[in-house]
Amino acid sequence: MSDLREKIQTVIDNEPVALFMKGTPQFVMCGNSERALQALRNAGAPVTAVDILPDPQIRQELSALSGWPTIPQVFVKGELIGGADIVQELGETGELERKLAEALGDDYRERAEDRVVSVLTPA
Amino acid sequence: MTDELETLLRDAFPDASEVRVTDRTGGGDHFLIEVSSPRFDGLPLVEQHRLVNEALAAPFASGRIHEMRIKTRGSQ
Repeated sequence: MSDLREKIQTVIDNEPVALFMKGTPQFVMCGNSERALQALRNAGAPVTAVDILPDPQIRQELSALSGWPTIPQVFVKGELIGGADIVQELGETGELERKLAEALGDDYRERAEDRVVSVLTPA
Repeated sequence: MTDELETLLRDAFPDASEVRVTDRTGGGDHFLIEVSSPRFDGLPLVEQHRLVNEALAAPFASGRIHEMRIKTRGSQ
């Protein structure tokens, strides 16, 4: 496994909610990433964001790992929940909050705080 | 492109009651994909979308599709 792929896997495995997106929560670079982020925020999720734009390899390795072709991708406790359409739909039906509570505990909102991590090795 | 995607989806979901491909921007690279099929019954959304993604893997890999929005429905 490549170093980069391993780092991506570590984020997926260890972060309660991992959002692989274009840009960062502070500076979103794509409407679909924005939709996913908003749905997660509305559900009160603690979001760990990874910007995939700095290196095209990130997206390649991520899609190889997840088998999911598009960005954004949302993982809860290591499980792929889906992309923007799914997260938005789950948010609208209330299913997203149920899923989060089930995976992270009923008090998951108390840890809700956006965080950005990098999967690239500092030069 | 819209017809091509629709054909691929009809082949992948022969029992679909609805297959609709909408060019959202008129630019031929942002699509809304809607499929209603009993194959989705009982599957989580992530698996439903996976089936659609798989059906369209070739045109997507070609880089001609910039964005796909997907809406799946079961037989209900």
